[in-house]
Amino acid sequence: MNRTNLDVLINGERHQILIEPHWTLLHVLRNVVGMMGTKENCLEAECGVCTVLLDGKSVNSCILLAAQTAGRSVTTIEGIGNPERLHPLQAAFIECGAVQCGYCIPGMILTAKSFLDENPGRRPSRDEIREAIAGTLCRCTGYRKIVDAVALAAERMSVEGANR
Amino acid sequence: MSFDLHKPASISEAVGLATRLAPAARYIAGGTDLVIQISRKKMFPDHLIDLGHLAGLVGVAETADGYLLGALTNYRSIELHPAFQGNLRGLIEAAGVVGGHQVRNVATVGGNIVNASPAADFVPALLVLDADLDIAGPVRNRTMALREFVLGPGKTALGPAEIVTSIRFARLPDRSATAFLKQGRRKAMEISVVCVAACLTLDESGSKCLSARLVIGAAGPKAFRPQQAEAYLIDQAPGPANFAAAGRLAAQASAPISDVRASAEYRSHLVAVMVERALTTCHRRIAEERR
Repeated sequence: MNRTNLDVLINGERHQILIEPHWTLLHVLRNVVGMMGTKENCLEAECGVCTVLLDGKSVNSCILLAAQTAGRSVTTIEGIGNPERLHPLQAAFIECGAVQCGYCIPGMILTAKSFLDENPGRRPSRDEIREAIAGTLCRCTGYRKIVDAVALAAERMSVEGANR
Repeated sequence: MSFDLHKPASISEAVGLATRLAPAARYIAGGTDLVIQISRKKMFPDHLIDLGHLAGLVGVAETADGYLLGALTNYRSIELHPAFQGNLRGLIEAAGVVGGHQVRNVATVGGNIVNASPAADFVPALLVLDADLDIAGPVRNRTMALREFVLGPGKTALGPAEIVTSIRFARLPDRSATAFLKQGRRKAMEISVVCVAACLTLDESGSKCLSARLVIGAAGPKAFRPQQAEAYLIDQAPGPANFAAAGRLAAQASAPISDVRASAEYRSHLVAVMVERALTTCHRRIAEERR
Protein backbone atom coordinates (compact mmCIF):
# COMPACT_ATOMS: atom_id res chain seq x y z
CA MET A 1 0.00 0.00 0.00
CA ASN A 2 1.36 3.25 -1.12
CA ARG A 3 -1.42 5.75 -0.71
CA THR A 4 -1.02 9.43 -1.40
CA ASN A 5 -3.29 12.34 -0.82
CA LEU A 6 -5.24 13.72 -3.79
CA ASP A 7 -6.51 17.26 -3.47
CA VAL A 8 -9.08 17.89 -6.21
CA LEU A 9 -12.20 19.95 -6.87
CA ILE A 10 -15.17 17.77 -7.81
CA ASN A 11 -18.26 19.68 -8.91
CA GLY A 12 -16.93 22.76 -7.18
CA GLU A 13 -16.33 21.04 -3.86
CA ARG A 14 -12.84 20.40 -2.53
CA HIS A 15 -12.08 16.73 -1.87
CA GLN A 16 -9.03 15.28 -0.16
CA ILE A 17 -8.87 11.61 -0.96
CA LEU A 18 -6.32 8.91 -0.16
CA ILE A 19 -5.57 7.19 -3.45
CA GLU A 20 -3.30 4.50 -4.79
CA PRO A 21 -1.13 5.65 -7.71
CA HIS A 22 -2.76 3.31 -10.23
CA TRP A 23 -6.36 4.30 -9.48
CA THR A 24 -8.12 5.98 -12.36
CA LEU A 25 -10.33 9.02 -11.96
CA LEU A 26 -13.30 6.80 -12.88
CA HIS A 27 -12.48 4.42 -10.02
CA VAL A 28 -12.21 7.29 -7.56
CA LEU A 29 -15.48 8.90 -8.67
CA ARG A 30 -17.55 5.72 -8.50
CA ASN A 31 -15.88 3.63 -5.81
CA VAL A 32 -14.46 6.23 -3.43
CA VAL A 33 -16.57 9.38 -3.80
CA GLY A 34 -19.67 7.34 -4.66
CA MET A 35 -20.85 9.36 -7.64
CA MET A 36 -22.47 6.82 -9.94
CA GLY A 37 -23.51 9.19 -12.74
CA THR A 38 -20.20 8.57 -14.50
CA LYS A 39 -20.51 5.17 -16.18
CA GLU A 40 -17.99 2.41 -16.60
CA ASN A 41 -17.67 0.24 -19.68
CA CYS A 42 -14.74 -0.31 -22.06
CA LEU A 43 -11.93 1.07 -19.86
CA GLU A 44 -9.91 1.83 -23.01
CA ALA A 45 -11.20 5.25 -24.13
CA GLU A 46 -13.15 3.69 -26.99
CA CYS A 47 -16.73 4.27 -25.84
CA GLY A 48 -16.88 7.57 -23.94
CA VAL A 49 -19.47 6.61 -21.28
CA CYS A 50 -16.95 7.58 -18.57
CA THR A 51 -16.54 11.12 -19.94
CA VAL A 52 -16.17 13.89 -17.35
CA LEU A 53 -14.86 17.44 -17.64
CA LEU A 54 -11.34 18.25 -16.46
CA ASP A 55 -10.97 22.03 -16.19
CA GLY A 56 -14.00 22.20 -18.49
CA LYS A 57 -12.64 19.88 -21.21
CA SER A 58 -14.05 16.43 -21.89
CA VAL A 59 -11.75 13.55 -20.94
CA ASN A 60 -12.09 9.78 -20.59
CA SER A 61 -11.97 9.21 -16.84
CA CYS A 62 -11.26 5.50 -17.38
CA ILE A 63 -7.72 6.12 -18.62
CA LEU A 64 -6.87 9.20 -16.62
CA LEU A 65 -4.95 8.46 -13.45
CA ALA A 66 -6.62 10.14 -10.50
CA ALA A 67 -3.22 11.54 -9.57
CA GLN A 68 -3.16 13.44 -12.87
CA THR A 69 -6.11 15.53 -11.66
CA ALA A 70 -4.35 16.91 -8.56
CA GLY A 71 -5.17 20.57 -8.05
CA ARG A 72 -7.59 20.60 -10.95
CA SER A 73 -11.34 20.85 -11.34
CA VAL A 74 -13.46 17.81 -12.26
CA THR A 75 -17.10 18.14 -13.32
CA THR A 76 -19.39 15.11 -13.52
CA ILE A 77 -22.98 14.84 -14.69
CA GLU A 78 -24.03 15.44 -11.06
CA GLY A 79 -22.38 18.85 -11.25
CA ILE A 80 -24.01 20.56 -14.23
CA GLY A 81 -27.65 20.75 -13.16
CA ASN A 82 -30.29 19.33 -10.86
CA PRO A 83 -33.95 18.31 -11.29
CA GLU A 84 -35.12 21.81 -10.39
CA ARG A 85 -32.61 23.54 -12.60
CA LEU A 86 -31.55 21.43 -15.55
CA HIS A 87 -28.64 22.34 -17.77
CA PRO A 88 -29.94 23.33 -21.25
CA LEU A 89 -28.39 20.12 -22.64
CA GLN A 90 -30.23 18.01 -20.07
CA ALA A 91 -33.52 19.77 -20.83
CA ALA A 92 -33.00 19.36 -24.57
CA PHE A 93 -32.18 15.63 -24.26
CA ILE A 94 -35.46 15.11 -22.35
CA GLU A 95 -37.53 17.20 -24.77
CA CYS A 96 -36.08 15.54 -27.86
CA GLY A 97 -36.51 12.04 -26.47
CA ALA A 98 -32.79 11.56 -26.98
CA VAL A 99 -32.49 8.98 -24.20
CA GLN A 100 -33.06 5.29 -24.84
CA CYS A 101 -31.33 2.97 -22.36
CA GLY A 102 -29.58 6.02 -20.93
CA TYR A 103 -26.20 4.48 -20.22
CA CYS A 104 -24.24 6.73 -22.59
CA ILE A 105 -26.17 9.90 -21.80
CA PRO A 106 -24.07 11.35 -18.94
CA GLY A 107 -20.95 10.99 -21.09
CA MET A 108 -22.80 12.21 -24.17
CA ILE A 109 -24.03 15.36 -22.42
CA LEU A 110 -20.58 16.19 -21.03
CA THR A 111 -18.94 15.48 -24.41
CA ALA A 112 -21.39 17.92 -25.98
CA LYS A 113 -20.96 20.48 -23.21
CA SER A 114 -17.19 20.55 -23.64
CA PHE A 115 -17.62 21.05 -27.38
CA LEU A 116 -20.26 23.78 -27.11
CA ASP A 117 -18.25 25.62 -24.45
CA GLU A 118 -15.25 25.85 -26.81
CA ASN A 119 -17.15 28.44 -28.85
CA PRO A 120 -19.85 30.01 -26.69
CA GLY A 121 -22.78 31.31 -28.71
CA ARG A 122 -21.88 29.43 -31.88
CA ARG A 123 -24.41 27.10 -33.47
CA PRO A 124 -22.52 24.15 -34.93
CA SER A 125 -23.81 22.22 -37.95
CA ARG A 126 -25.16 18.69 -37.57
CA ASP A 127 -21.96 17.34 -39.14
CA GLU A 128 -19.85 19.25 -36.63
CA ILE A 129 -21.95 17.88 -33.78
CA ARG A 130 -21.59 14.34 -35.12
CA GLU A 131 -17.83 14.75 -35.32
CA ALA A 132 -17.70 16.23 -31.83
CA ILE A 133 -19.54 13.28 -30.24
CA ALA A 134 -17.69 10.61 -32.25
CA GLY A 135 -15.79 9.54 -29.13
CA THR A 136 -18.98 8.68 -27.27
CA LEU A 137 -20.90 5.66 -28.46
CA CYS A 138 -24.65 5.10 -28.13
CA ARG A 139 -25.16 1.33 -28.37
CA CYS A 140 -28.90 1.94 -28.87
CA THR A 141 -27.75 3.85 -32.01
CA GLY A 142 -30.09 6.72 -31.18
CA TYR A 143 -27.83 9.33 -32.69
CA ARG A 144 -30.42 11.26 -34.67
CA LYS A 145 -32.26 12.47 -31.59
CA ILE A 146 -29.02 12.98 -29.69
CA VAL A 147 -27.82 15.31 -32.47
CA ASP A 148 -31.26 17.01 -32.45
CA ALA A 149 -30.90 17.60 -28.71
CA VAL A 150 -27.37 19.01 -28.93
CA ALA A 151 -28.44 21.31 -31.78
CA LEU A 152 -31.46 22.52 -29.78
CA ALA A 153 -29.35 23.13 -26.68
CA ALA A 154 -26.74 25.01 -28.76
CA GLU A 155 -29.47 27.23 -30.18
CA ARG A 156 -30.89 28.02 -26.74
CA MET A 157 -27.48 28.54 -25.18
CA SER A 158 -26.53 30.99 -27.95
CA VAL A 159 -29.74 32.98 -27.36
CA GLU A 160 -29.21 32.95 -23.60
CA GLY A 161 -25.62 34.05 -24.09
CA ALA A 162 -26.76 36.91 -26.33
CA ASN A 163 -29.35 38.06 -23.75
CA ARG A 164 -26.91 38.02 -20.90
CA MET B 1 -1.23 -2.84 -11.79
CA SER B 2 0.85 -1.09 -9.22
CA PHE B 3 3.53 1.53 -9.44
CA ASP B 4 4.89 4.59 -7.72
CA LEU B 5 4.01 7.92 -9.27
CA HIS B 6 6.56 10.71 -9.18
CA LYS B 7 5.85 14.35 -9.87
CA PRO B 8 9.08 16.14 -10.67
CA ALA B 9 8.96 19.94 -10.63
CA SER B 10 11.42 20.46 -13.48
CA ILE B 11 12.76 18.73 -16.57
CA SER B 12 16.15 18.21 -14.93
CA GLU B 13 14.52 16.65 -11.86
CA ALA B 14 12.51 14.36 -14.17
CA VAL B 15 15.65 13.29 -16.05
CA GLY B 16 17.45 12.70 -12.73
CA LEU B 17 14.60 10.51 -11.47
CA ALA B 18 14.49 8.51 -14.70
CA THR B 19 18.25 7.98 -14.57
CA ARG B 20 18.12 6.79 -10.97
CA LEU B 21 15.07 4.54 -11.43
CA ALA B 22 16.01 3.09 -14.84
CA PRO B 23 15.03 0.69 -16.33
CA ALA B 24 11.88 0.29 -14.22
CA ALA B 25 10.61 3.82 -14.87
CA ARG B 26 8.50 5.30 -17.64
CA TYR B 27 7.56 8.87 -18.32
CA ILE B 28 3.85 9.61 -18.51
CA ALA B 29 2.45 12.63 -20.35
CA GLY B 30 -1.25 12.42 -21.29
CA GLY B 31 -1.17 8.69 -20.59
CA THR B 32 -3.87 7.91 -23.15
CA ASP B 33 -1.80 5.04 -24.54
CA LEU B 34 0.37 4.18 -21.55
CA VAL B 35 -2.46 3.67 -19.05
CA ILE B 36 -4.19 1.30 -21.48
CA GLN B 37 -0.94 -0.63 -22.03
CA ILE B 38 -0.49 -0.96 -18.26
CA SER B 39 -4.05 -2.15 -17.66
CA ARG B 40 -3.70 -4.65 -20.51
CA LYS B 41 -0.59 -5.88 -18.67
CA LYS B 42 1.60 -5.20 -21.69
CA MET B 43 3.80 -2.95 -19.56
CA PHE B 44 4.78 -3.24 -15.93
CA PRO B 45 6.61 -0.09 -14.92
CA ASP B 46 7.48 0.13 -11.21
CA HIS B 47 7.68 3.90 -11.47
CA LEU B 48 5.82 6.47 -13.53
CA ILE B 49 7.32 9.92 -13.82
CA ASP B 50 4.53 12.39 -14.51
CA LEU B 51 5.55 15.15 -16.92
CA GLY B 52 2.00 16.49 -17.16
CA HIS B 53 2.43 19.58 -15.06
CA LEU B 54 5.92 20.70 -16.11
CA ALA B 55 5.79 24.35 -17.04
CA GLY B 56 6.94 25.47 -20.46
CA LEU B 57 6.19 22.25 -22.33
CA VAL B 58 2.66 23.21 -23.35
CA GLY B 59 1.58 25.49 -26.15
CA VAL B 60 2.37 26.82 -29.61
CA ALA B 61 4.89 29.63 -30.00
CA GLU B 62 5.95 31.58 -33.08
CA THR B 63 9.71 31.81 -33.51
CA ALA B 64 11.83 33.93 -35.84
CA ASP B 65 11.59 31.41 -38.67
CA GLY B 66 8.65 29.21 -37.74
CA TYR B 67 6.82 27.50 -34.93
CA LEU B 68 7.62 25.66 -31.75
CA LEU B 69 5.19 23.13 -30.31
CA GLY B 70 5.66 22.19 -26.67
CA ALA B 71 5.79 18.39 -26.50
CA LEU B 72 2.90 18.34 -24.02
CA THR B 73 0.59 20.30 -26.32
CA ASN B 74 -2.62 18.35 -26.80
CA TYR B 75 -4.28 17.69 -30.15
CA ARG B 76 -7.45 19.64 -29.54
CA SER B 77 -5.50 22.83 -28.91
CA ILE B 78 -3.59 22.32 -32.17
CA GLU B 79 -6.86 21.75 -34.00
CA LEU B 80 -8.25 25.03 -32.69
CA HIS B 81 -5.06 27.07 -33.09
CA PRO B 82 -5.52 30.04 -35.44
CA ALA B 83 -1.89 29.94 -36.64
CA PHE B 84 -2.50 26.66 -38.45
CA GLN B 85 -5.65 27.66 -40.32
CA GLY B 86 -3.69 28.80 -43.39
CA ASN B 87 -0.97 26.89 -45.23
CA LEU B 88 -0.34 24.61 -42.24
CA ARG B 89 -3.86 23.23 -42.40
CA GLY B 90 -2.47 19.70 -42.71
CA LEU B 91 -1.58 19.89 -39.01
CA ILE B 92 -5.19 20.64 -38.08
CA GLU B 93 -6.42 17.83 -40.31
CA ALA B 94 -4.04 15.33 -38.72
CA ALA B 95 -4.72 16.48 -35.15
CA GLY B 96 -8.46 16.22 -35.84
CA VAL B 97 -8.44 12.48 -36.56
CA VAL B 98 -6.62 11.34 -33.41
CA GLY B 99 -9.20 9.50 -31.27
CA GLY B 100 -12.28 11.36 -30.09
CA HIS B 101 -12.43 14.80 -28.49
CA GLN B 102 -11.85 13.27 -25.04
CA VAL B 103 -8.55 11.75 -26.15
CA ARG B 104 -7.55 14.88 -28.09
CA ASN B 105 -8.07 17.00 -24.97
CA VAL B 106 -5.42 14.92 -23.16
CA ALA B 107 -3.12 13.12 -25.62
CA THR B 108 0.11 14.95 -26.37
CA VAL B 109 2.07 15.51 -29.57
CA GLY B 110 5.27 14.36 -27.85
CA GLY B 111 3.60 11.17 -26.68
CA ASN B 112 2.49 10.28 -30.19
CA ILE B 113 6.03 10.80 -31.51
CA VAL B 114 7.76 8.82 -28.76
CA ASN B 115 5.25 5.97 -29.11
CA ALA B 116 6.44 5.51 -32.71
CA SER B 117 3.36 3.70 -33.91
CA PRO B 118 3.58 3.10 -37.70
CA ALA B 119 -0.02 4.35 -37.86
CA ALA B 120 0.54 7.53 -35.81
CA ASP B 121 -1.46 10.22 -37.57
CA PHE B 122 0.34 13.33 -36.44
CA VAL B 123 3.86 12.12 -37.22
CA PRO B 124 3.43 12.30 -41.05
CA ALA B 125 1.99 15.81 -40.74
CA LEU B 126 5.16 16.87 -38.90
CA LEU B 127 7.55 14.87 -41.11
CA VAL B 128 6.20 16.65 -44.17
CA LEU B 129 7.28 19.94 -42.55
CA ASP B 130 10.81 18.57 -41.93
CA ALA B 131 10.26 19.02 -38.18
CA ASP B 132 13.07 18.86 -35.66
CA LEU B 133 12.85 17.65 -32.07
CA ASP B 134 14.44 19.23 -29.01
CA ILE B 135 15.50 16.54 -26.58
CA ALA B 136 16.57 16.97 -22.95
CA GLY B 137 18.81 14.29 -21.46
CA PRO B 138 21.06 13.38 -18.55
CA VAL B 139 24.27 14.30 -20.34
CA ARG B 140 23.27 17.08 -22.69
CA ASN B 141 20.36 18.56 -24.60
CA ARG B 142 20.25 17.91 -28.30
CA THR B 143 18.25 18.55 -31.46
CA MET B 144 17.41 15.85 -33.94
CA ALA B 145 15.41 15.61 -37.15
CA LEU B 146 12.10 13.79 -36.60
CA ARG B 147 12.81 11.63 -39.68
CA GLU B 148 15.94 10.28 -37.96
CA PHE B 149 14.22 9.89 -34.63
CA VAL B 150 11.59 7.28 -35.50
CA LEU B 151 13.42 4.01 -36.27
CA GLY B 152 10.60 1.48 -36.59
CA PRO B 153 7.46 0.22 -34.87
CA GLY B 154 7.78 1.34 -31.25
CA LYS B 155 11.47 2.13 -31.75
CA THR B 156 13.06 5.57 -31.55
CA ALA B 157 16.48 7.13 -31.14
CA LEU B 158 15.50 8.34 -27.67
CA GLY B 159 18.28 7.56 -25.21
CA PRO B 160 17.86 6.46 -21.59
CA ALA B 161 16.07 9.08 -19.48
CA GLU B 162 15.76 11.47 -22.44
CA ILE B 163 12.61 13.59 -22.90
CA VAL B 164 11.34 15.15 -26.11
CA THR B 165 10.62 18.71 -24.98
CA SER B 166 9.54 20.48 -28.16
CA ILE B 167 8.97 20.17 -31.87
CA ARG B 168 10.09 22.87 -34.30
CA PHE B 169 9.43 23.53 -37.96
CA ALA B 170 10.00 26.41 -40.36
CA ARG B 171 7.35 28.69 -41.82
CA LEU B 172 6.47 27.70 -45.40
CA PRO B 173 7.45 29.82 -48.40
CA ASP B 174 4.80 31.73 -50.38
CA ARG B 175 2.54 29.70 -52.67
CA SER B 176 2.70 26.65 -50.40
CA ALA B 177 -0.02 24.49 -48.91
CA THR B 178 -0.30 21.32 -46.84
CA ALA B 179 -2.92 18.62 -46.65
CA PHE B 180 -3.45 15.48 -44.60
CA LEU B 181 -5.71 12.61 -45.60
CA LYS B 182 -6.61 9.53 -43.60
CA GLN B 183 -8.38 6.41 -44.68
CA GLY B 184 -9.83 4.04 -42.10
CA ARG B 185 -12.65 1.55 -42.11
CA ARG B 186 -14.91 4.20 -40.62
CA LYS B 187 -14.76 7.97 -40.38
CA ALA B 188 -13.81 8.48 -36.73
CA MET B 189 -12.25 6.68 -33.77
CA GLU B 190 -10.15 4.59 -36.12
CA ILE B 191 -6.55 3.58 -36.61
CA SER B 192 -5.32 4.58 -40.06
CA VAL B 193 -5.31 2.02 -42.85
CA VAL B 194 -3.21 4.55 -44.75
CA CYS B 195 -2.59 8.23 -44.12
CA VAL B 196 -0.86 10.73 -46.39
CA ALA B 197 0.60 14.16 -45.70
CA ALA B 198 1.59 16.50 -48.52
CA CYS B 199 3.31 19.86 -48.74
CA LEU B 200 3.43 21.54 -52.14
CA THR B 201 5.18 24.77 -53.17
CA LEU B 202 4.60 26.35 -56.60
CA ASP B 203 6.66 28.93 -58.49
CA GLU B 204 5.59 32.56 -58.90
CA SER B 205 3.42 31.88 -61.94
CA GLY B 206 1.75 28.95 -60.21
CA SER B 207 2.47 26.75 -63.22
CA LYS B 208 5.39 24.72 -61.90
CA CYS B 209 6.10 22.71 -58.74
CA LEU B 210 9.11 24.10 -56.90
CA SER B 211 9.04 21.46 -54.23
CA ALA B 212 6.82 18.62 -53.15
CA ARG B 213 7.13 16.71 -49.90
CA LEU B 214 5.07 13.60 -49.30
CA VAL B 215 4.82 11.33 -46.29
CA ILE B 216 2.98 8.03 -46.21
CA GLY B 217 1.87 6.55 -42.88
CA ALA B 218 0.66 3.04 -42.00
CA ALA B 219 2.00 1.59 -45.26
CA GLY B 220 5.37 0.43 -43.95
CA PRO B 221 7.16 -0.15 -40.63
CA LYS B 222 7.38 3.60 -40.22
CA ALA B 223 6.12 6.67 -42.01
CA PHE B 224 8.29 7.34 -45.07
CA ARG B 225 9.00 9.89 -47.79
CA PRO B 226 8.51 8.45 -51.33
CA GLN B 227 11.54 10.23 -52.77
CA GLN B 228 11.01 9.26 -56.40
CA ALA B 229 7.50 10.64 -56.32
CA GLU B 230 8.77 13.87 -54.75
CA ALA B 231 11.63 14.22 -57.26
CA TYR B 232 9.31 13.51 -60.18
CA LEU B 233 7.16 16.52 -59.36
CA ILE B 234 9.96 19.10 -59.31
CA ASP B 235 9.62 21.49 -62.27
CA GLN B 236 6.47 19.67 -63.44
CA ALA B 237 3.17 21.41 -64.01
CA PRO B 238 0.74 20.92 -61.10
CA GLY B 239 -2.29 18.99 -62.31
CA PRO B 240 -4.14 15.68 -62.44
CA ALA B 241 -1.76 13.78 -64.75
CA ASN B 242 1.40 14.58 -62.81
CA PHE B 243 -0.27 14.15 -59.43
CA ALA B 244 -1.53 10.72 -60.50
CA ALA B 245 1.96 9.79 -61.73
CA ALA B 246 3.41 10.83 -58.36
CA GLY B 247 0.76 8.69 -56.67
CA ARG B 248 1.82 5.64 -58.69
CA LEU B 249 5.48 6.21 -57.82
CA ALA B 250 4.58 6.55 -54.13
CA ALA B 251 2.60 3.30 -54.25
CA GLN B 252 5.63 1.53 -55.77
CA ALA B 253 7.80 2.82 -52.93
CA SER B 254 5.46 1.61 -50.19
CA ALA B 255 5.86 -1.72 -48.41
CA PRO B 256 2.56 -2.27 -46.62
CA ILE B 257 1.53 -5.38 -44.72
CA SER B 258 -1.80 -7.20 -44.74
CA ASP B 259 -3.53 -7.17 -41.38
CA VAL B 260 -7.01 -7.15 -39.87
CA ARG B 261 -7.65 -3.67 -41.23
CA ALA B 262 -6.70 -4.08 -44.89
CA SER B 263 -4.69 -6.11 -47.37
CA ALA B 264 -1.31 -4.97 -48.60
CA GLU B 265 -2.75 -4.63 -52.14
CA TYR B 266 -5.52 -2.36 -50.95
CA ARG B 267 -3.08 -0.24 -48.97
CA SER B 268 -0.89 0.23 -52.06
CA HIS B 269 -3.94 1.23 -54.05
CA LEU B 270 -4.87 3.72 -51.35
CA VAL B 271 -1.38 5.24 -51.38
CA ALA B 272 -1.67 6.02 -55.11
CA VAL B 273 -5.17 7.50 -54.81
CA MET B 274 -4.53 9.43 -51.61
CA VAL B 275 -1.23 10.97 -52.77
CA GLU B 276 -3.00 12.25 -55.88
CA ARG B 277 -5.86 13.65 -53.77
CA ALA B 278 -3.55 15.23 -51.20
CA LEU B 279 -1.57 16.99 -53.96
CA THR B 280 -4.79 18.11 -55.65
CA THR B 281 -5.97 19.53 -52.33
CA CYS B 282 -2.69 21.41 -51.85
CA HIS B 283 -2.93 22.79 -55.40
CA ARG B 284 -6.50 23.99 -54.80
CA ARG B 285 -5.50 25.59 -51.51
CA ILE B 286 -2.63 27.50 -53.11
CA ALA B 287 -5.00 28.74 -55.84
CA GLU B 288 -7.56 29.82 -53.22
CA GLU B 289 -4.88 31.65 -51.28
CA ARG B 290 -3.85 33.60 -54.38
CA ARG B 291 -7.37 34.63 -55.28
